[in-house]
Amino acid sequence: MGCMTKNPAVRRFIFRTLAASSAYIVLTISIALTFYKFRPHGPLATVLAVLPAVAILGNIIAIGLYLIEDKDEVQRSVMVELLLWGLGGVLVFTSAWGLLETFTHIRHFNPTYTYTVFWIFVGIGVPFLQRKYR
Amino acid sequence: MNCMQQNPATRRYLIRFVSTIAAYAVALLFAEWCIHRLHPTGALLYGLATLPAVPIIGVIVVVGLYLAEEKDEFQRNLLIQSMLWGLGAILSLTSVWGFLQLYAHVHPFQPYMTFPLFWCFQGIATAALRWRYR
Repeated sequence: MGCMTKNPAVRRFIFRTLAASSAYIVLTISIALTFYKFRPHGPLATVLAVLPAVAILGNIIAIGLYLIEDKDEVQRSVMVELLLWGLGGVLVFTSAWGLLETFTHIRHFNPTYTYTVFWIFVGIGVPFLQRKYR
Repeated sequence: MNCMQQNPATRRYLIRFVSTIAAYAVALLFAEWCIHRLHPTGALLYGLATLPAVPIIGVIVVVGLYLAEEKDEFQRNLLIQSMLWGLGAILSLTSVWGFLQLYAHVHPFQPYMTFPLFWCFQGIATAALRWRYR
């Protein structure tokens, strides 16, 4: 962690990710409460519904900015590899779930979970890459 | 296209990619035919339903092999960048759609659409990047 904080690009990335994640938590809770209490509808409901997703977009932009800003080639390629592992995992997972949903009528997979599933696969990739680059 | 065919890694990538996509189409049609005609139950039903996901794993492996085999740094980076753009777009789309589904009751997003939509976004990103680096 000490090493990570010395890198300004990583520091900015952590700061932006924490800010976007905090915004996501606050927006998710407040939007859920708003819909529970006031039951908005029409265009207002659409705008309010999209707000938590804006925080997720902020998170995605933070990753993009990190990949542009980090001068450390190794750190950047580790991040890219992790993102590609997450991408592969999420594509296989959603395809398999979608097929099961179509043919066996299992519970519907809400697309908001795609982002979470993506990070789970990124997490699974971490020990493999640590072993590769140690 | 001529230039692409001269590169052995790209040639192998295209052949493998087209083969796995063809295998996906065949597996999908086979699974659908078996499930609708034979009405299997239990493990056989789950096995048949997830059968088309196997070529999707194949596509991921094909992309991984291309990234390992491609000697042309520029071509490799182009694919990585376009995939990262595709990843960002698909995560954004599923997040927005998911919240709209939760609160604004839009049509449910089918999870198996993640895979083809990702490749659509990746294709758009490839075209945009090629135009940028022309």
